[in-house]
Amino acid sequence: MALNKTLLKINKIPGDETGIEIKKTICGICEGSTTSCGVNAYIKDGRVIKVEGMPEFPQNQGTLCAKGNASRQYIYNKERILAPLRRVGKRGSSDFEEIGWDEAYDTIAEKLLQIKAETGPESVVFGAGFTKWLRPFAQRLGISFGSPNFATESSTCFFATEVAAKLTYGYWGGPDLSNSGCLLVWSKNVFFSATPLAKKLISAWKNGLKIIEVSPMATHLTRYADVRLGLRPGTDGALALGMAHIIIKEGLHDAKFVAEWTTGFDEYTAYVEKFTPEKTAAITGVPASFIKRAARLYAGANASSIMTSASPTVHHTNGVQNHRAIIALCGLTGNFDRPGGNYVVPETWNHVGTGVTTRHHEFTFPRSFDEMPPRVGADQFPIWTSLINESQSMYLPQQILSQKPYPIRGLVAFGYNHRMWPGSDVFLKALGKLDIFVDIDLFMTDTARQADIVLPACSSFERSQLHFYPGNHVIYTQPAIDPLGESKPDSEIIFDLAKRIAPDDDLMQHGYEACLDWVLKPAGLTVEQLKRHPSGLTISNASMPPYRKYEEGGFPTPTGKMEFVSSLLRQAGIQPLPVYNEPALSPHSEPVLAEQFPLVLGTGTRLPMYMHSRTFRNKWNRDLHPHPTITIGSRDAASRGISDLDDVILATPRSSMQVKARVTDTICPGVVNIYHGWSEIEVNHLFEPDYLDPISGFPGFKSLLCEVKKVLH
Amino acid sequence: MDKKLAFWFDIADCSGCLACVVACQDQNDFKAPDMALRQVSSLEKGEYPATIANISLACMHCGDAPCLMVCPTGAIFRHNATGVVDVNRDICIGCHSCEMACPFGAPKFAQDGKMIKCDLCITRIENGMKPACVHTCTTGALRFGYIDDLAAEKTRSASIKILESSKEK
Repeated sequence: MALNKTLLKINKIPGDETGIEIKKTICGICEGSTTSCGVNAYIKDGRVIKVEGMPEFPQNQGTLCAKGNASRQYIYNKERILAPLRRVGKRGSSDFEEIGWDEAYDTIAEKLLQIKAETGPESVVFGAGFTKWLRPFAQRLGISFGSPNFATESSTCFFATEVAAKLTYGYWGGPDLSNSGCLLVWSKNVFFSATPLAKKLISAWKNGLKIIEVSPMATHLTRYADVRLGLRPGTDGALALGMAHIIIKEGLHDAKFVAEWTTGFDEYTAYVEKFTPEKTAAITGVPASFIKRAARLYAGANASSIMTSASPTVHHTNGVQNHRAIIALCGLTGNFDRPGGNYVVPETWNHVGTGVTTRHHEFTFPRSFDEMPPRVGADQFPIWTSLINESQSMYLPQQILSQKPYPIRGLVAFGYNHRMWPGSDVFLKALGKLDIFVDIDLFMTDTARQADIVLPACSSFERSQLHFYPGNHVIYTQPAIDPLGESKPDSEIIFDLAKRIAPDDDLMQHGYEACLDWVLKPAGLTVEQLKRHPSGLTISNASMPPYRKYEEGGFPTPTGKMEFVSSLLRQAGIQPLPVYNEPALSPHSEPVLAEQFPLVLGTGTRLPMYMHSRTFRNKWNRDLHPHPTITIGSRDAASRGISDLDDVILATPRSSMQVKARVTDTICPGVVNIYHGWSEIEVNHLFEPDYLDPISGFPGFKSLLCEVKKVLH
Repeated sequence: MDKKLAFWFDIADCSGCLACVVACQDQNDFKAPDMALRQVSSLEKGEYPATIANISLACMHCGDAPCLMVCPTGAIFRHNATGVVDVNRDICIGCHSCEMACPFGAPKFAQDGKMIKCDLCITRIENGMKPACVHTCTTGALRFGYIDDLAAEKTRSASIKILESSKEK
């Protein structure tokens, strides 16, 4: 019996005999509509001793990725900040002293209110790094304080795809996978970046789904793809226009939908006429026969949908137009908002759409932007500002440094990372000009070292969080463990600050859960009710919106139609068709520079063990990929005398750094990739701070020119 | 032996996501990478676009286990009911004979010098749970079960594939 008990303990079997209890929570490492997996946290004496995917959770059904499985090394990391800190040394040093929460709050409030009185509330920017769950509260806090400026990582992730969609259709929807005959996967590696989709995709494929993969890399998806289009990075728009050329020429488009529900089709048709398969092949590097096959497959299936990702199509200086050209294929073939096509589900909460209605918008935006001063980036990126309810963060360093059109003096940031900005050294310099920089984080990051006050946040295991999932599942988690040290949930920090800097916001004064009840009211849900469902609740009677919503009242665009020719872009003096222009720095656009820097550099391609900078500290993750490493094709490597795992210098016109080389034939010849976010090298020093898409302000992180040289020891 | 338990691995669906490796480390509190009792290897074939094959490997719980035969102290033993190959660390002397005999590199050695190996999470299975690596597998490539059942399932799904393809022709 004693032996049995030991075995149960060693194997972490929950129950009375071992004192191990399973508590339900969700993973917070990568947040979004396709992730935020349900987790069984094995708790013993108040500590997490093991994690695993929650089997009954519809999103991930028991699975968990390499990052989520290392959660304990994230929660109990030795770099966790356990008390509020005040900087006593120079910016960038580790010289901080511990202070109490009240002192920290009072210091912050005094300074922010002083700035508000002197130069206006807009001089304080509120923001968030990758962290998503806290954004509605943080943005409301900023607006209630009086500032229009909420600057997040979404200025370089995902939102440019939304700009493209809003310009073209007014809204957008993901693939209606269960009814699709063909899925066009445009550069998304779900097997690494959205593992809950992996089984669903494989199962759909086994049931006959045809898959087209567009990617400069061969991935695990290639195994399931009927056609793989291996394009040169940044030529996505040309490829999509080339597919449209075939579709129109062969009469495979939906003439009825196009006639009734689109504008600018004739101009579009005339434009795509130029993108013959041969010309498209010359631009993209994809063989003409593959382009034809893909176009016929996509347009010929009963119903086809497009799966795009947050960044690969829009991390280019021509990104928005590229993305518009891609999603135009959906309307062209009549696949917009139809069964098996791209199905529009309105937002329920925090960018996740379900059949449940909440007051998410009313909560987040207690005041209209029209009543406030212009946001950061409004002059430079007016299209962005008119379509996206945030500031354009990429312009933040320039405005801090230039003080134009008004000074930025304070920054309250949740999990900011200066390595998010191209020319990240410039952003570091800008941080040094602020009167007050407050960073809220779990760890003492290189960015937090620049802050005046650092407040300790906690992980998803230590807080209560509302999350909606596609399929009408909702959870309000309860803490699986107490927050470590004096750390607090970001929500508590936000509501504590609201008492001091937004006392007129009556709703916020009632606290976090009262606000959630207010948000959930139209859904007939309450926090108390959700607490009774620790694994979450599937709202079975939620009414999913109908297909073809445009048939009632048209598209939410200026013309009420799908716009091949965008009215908003035309008004702004920007080419209104989804035109193809080369990336600003490419072997075609800058042939002379390309003699010195002949390779195309892409950064940020997903790896299975990392999520931005979040899991580098986890030993189990780090050991799986210990060194900053480029991937380079075997011929490009051989011509440079480079062997696998050699030390190499990666150089762009702006900067250079030493990394390791991984020689692989899974990457398109002429292309080099490197993961971002490493602290020992500054990948974003390789980019000029103004290497941006002029429409969205998004950096061209996935198409730059570079050269690689072997380090001779 | 009543019925033999085994891992079942579909090489076609393994994406190389490494979740199984970390799940094993978390289950067993391992501190270093080479202490994971499950390893994932990838192999590229051909020119660009090369195909990638991934394999997730742990102890195979061999029917005729070489580690068990060479163990001089009898520390390595087989669970009668399930066929799982396990080690009694109390009598292991850390001689590494099993490491030399094993064709899969399954035996690992902890800081105390003694052998440690995958026991198919047999205690979890006995308590109605799946092995940690199987539970977490993101693609369904890794499963476990009684070897007869797994074989029968393979026969069934292969038969369906053959029948379907003959119907198309």
